[in-house]
Amino acid sequence: MIRRVSNVVLLVVAVALCYGMQTSTPHYARLTGLIPVRGGIGETIEARSFSLKVAKIGFAHTLKLNAFGKEKVLTTGGLWAIVTAELAARDASTSVWGGIWQGPAGLRYRTSERLGVAPGAPPFSLEPGLPRKVRFVFEIPADQAANATLLVASARFSALDSEAQIKLGTVETGADGLPAGVIETFDLDQPI
Amino acid sequence: MQAVDTMSRSRMAEGRSGTERKWRRRALWALVVLLPAVIVETSYGSVRTFLGNNDLIARDVAWGSAAHFGGSDWQLTDLRTALGMEGLPANAVPVLADFTVTVGDPDMRNLWVGCKVFLTDASGRQWTPTATVSLRAPADVMICASAAFSGAKKGDRLKIRETFMVPKDAIATIRVAVGVGSERPYYLRFQRPES
Repeated sequence: MIRRVSNVVLLVVAVALCYGMQTSTPHYARLTGLIPVRGGIGETIEARSFSLKVAKIGFAHTLKLNAFGKEKVLTTGGLWAIVTAELAARDASTSVWGGIWQGPAGLRYRTSERLGVAPGAPPFSLEPGLPRKVRFVFEIPADQAANATLLVASARFSALDSEAQIKLGTVETGADGLPAGVIETFDLDQPI
Repeated sequence: MQAVDTMSRSRMAEGRSGTERKWRRRALWALVVLLPAVIVETSYGSVRTFLGNNDLIARDVAWGSAAHFGGSDWQLTDLRTALGMEGLPANAVPVLADFTVTVGDPDMRNLWVGCKVFLTDASGRQWTPTATVSLRAPADVMICASAAFSGAKKGDRLKIRETFMVPKDAIATIRVAVGVGSERPYYLRFQRPES
């Protein structure tokens, strides 16, 4: 009798264990996905092939830039978020394709392609020993400005490589719901 | 009669257990061979890909001499810095590496696949050619990838130049290296010019 009961208990335990393992196993894409390296503004984050240090964030209603001798003004129904950072290759020449602005609820915005091939636009090529200052420019809705995370990896689609994740923190907002420090026009041609 | 029966049955059981023991031992020994064989078989492709994609083992080439590599003879003819360029990051120095390659096997689009010219310094850092610096080169000067598809014939002498951007502190120890798909994991590492 005891033997029979212990067998049933063992079976139940085994089933529960198997079910637990089945439901808690991360998806394959996640297992082989990017490996996060977390940090904050002003910290140097060491990813596998590059290091990154975010200096500041700015918001603007319009962007001004010079592309091939022509002045371009880019407006938006949302906001332009401009992240200034220092990037450096670690042991070998590499590049960073751009970045992702991840809003507080997880919405992801890639670096804007509206800049085209303007000088200083991504992808950023990096050489060891030669850190460079770059700007990541995003076009985001105003409600995505606060508590965002900047995600930066070498390649846009890659597996088992590291991804720098920088918490951009809270942003003071005015009565109109816009960030307090938002400016009218950001000139991308000004030196970083 | 019954006693004889029991005896023969126990002898049979003894014989069976002896054979079983023998096979069990054989199966265990087989594991010693099979397990490593399975590991080798399953990782073979990955190891081959890894070796075929990475420049791992250097073959040193003395300054001024040519080395047979990827079916052709490679000689580093010059390694110099270009000074006085504007618009570069502070601390950055453009470096030019010039090769003369005498074509042996003209099937370069296969032999030179994934051709990579790079610089290494004493601390192991690596620089690949840059697009940030663009210096005008004579019309007959190519880069490695374009030379591979140039349709050159056996005996042709190709001029190959690659441009790099390295920090000042690396200049004293940089060496030029070349890797091509057909020779990996081996790569050529050229000695610096004697000054």
